[in-house]
Amino acid sequence: MLDAFSRSVVSADAKTAAVGAGDIAALRQYVAEGNKRLDAVNAITSNASCIVSDAVTGMICENTGLIQAGGNCYPNRRMAACLRDGEIVLRYISYALLAGDASVLDDRCLNGLKETYIALGVPTQSAARAVAIMKASATAHIGETNTPANGGSKFRKMETTQGDCSALVAEAASYFDRVISAVA
Amino acid sequence: MKSVVTTIVTAADAAGRFPSQNDLEAVQGNIQRAAARLEAAEKLAAGLDAVTKEAGDACFNKYPYLKQPGEAGENQTKVDKCYRDLGHYLRLINYCLVVGGTGPLDEWGIAGAREVYRTLGLPTGPYVEALTYTRDRACAPRDMSPQALNEFKSYLDYVINALS
Repeated sequence: MLDAFSRSVVSADAKTAAVGAGDIAALRQYVAEGNKRLDAVNAITSNASCIVSDAVTGMICENTGLIQAGGNCYPNRRMAACLRDGEIVLRYISYALLAGDASVLDDRCLNGLKETYIALGVPTQSAARAVAIMKASATAHIGETNTPANGGSKFRKMETTQGDCSALVAEAASYFDRVISAVA
Repeated sequence: MKSVVTTIVTAADAAGRFPSQNDLEAVQGNIQRAAARLEAAEKLAAGLDAVTKEAGDACFNKYPYLKQPGEAGENQTKVDKCYRDLGHYLRLINYCLVVGGTGPLDEWGIAGAREVYRTLGLPTGPYVEALTYTRDRACAPRDMSPQALNEFKSYLDYVINALS
């Protein structure tokens, strides 16, 4: 597993070179944005169960066949497995966002996930849709662009210092997209 | 690669939980100290060749017998390899300064070093001498800021202790 710092070290080592000014400038950026990043991770972890349950229910609302007999969320046992998987995916995305590098997500979550889902008969289209809803919800929480209209009764705004966190929103979105392209 | 963040993520993953407030505080502490070590890493990278040469020269000045026949620096090829090894140690220190931990030195420098040196019949004393010279020669604010120097020297000491 790597983070933003060890990623630059590993790539420098491959060239037998020291980590030079260019890489260090990028790392200074990570450091300067450190508090924002921690707030972003906090925005995901504090709202984790809301993000996950909303994504799974949203996925089912769009495809009610999932909770009818023969559907993949049909008995509670399989619905529970679905919620659990959503939480696991979101957890690894929070790790990747904290580390500033996707390797933990790739190595520990996505590697073999699609094959597992196919073997278990999990509809990967639906899984990808749930992750897409999690992406919309999580990025709205990080960027604080959520509104009472789209939050409904569960609306909640994180109370952090206002500022530009578009880079972090884009980074978090890229990890969700990584999951979507890995399972789809 | 072990660093503050990967250690935290590994622990959180083993427990199957999201990063907690404690984890975020630990990362925050790491970030606060990052400015000094990144400065040290940058300055060291910029002067890596010069520092390596100085350290190697100091070592051969102190132990001139190393260049006699049958010793570790009996010909230019072997002398060059001594300088190369010193450069490796300084490069690994640069990596440690970047990740903020001893992971790179532990994994790529120190693990197995004792066995290798014993097999090749190399003395570790001269390496210690060279790195000690580097440590004592570096000074603030000429080379880097005091806090950065402190970070740099702590990794030099780490290698020195491992080789002693």
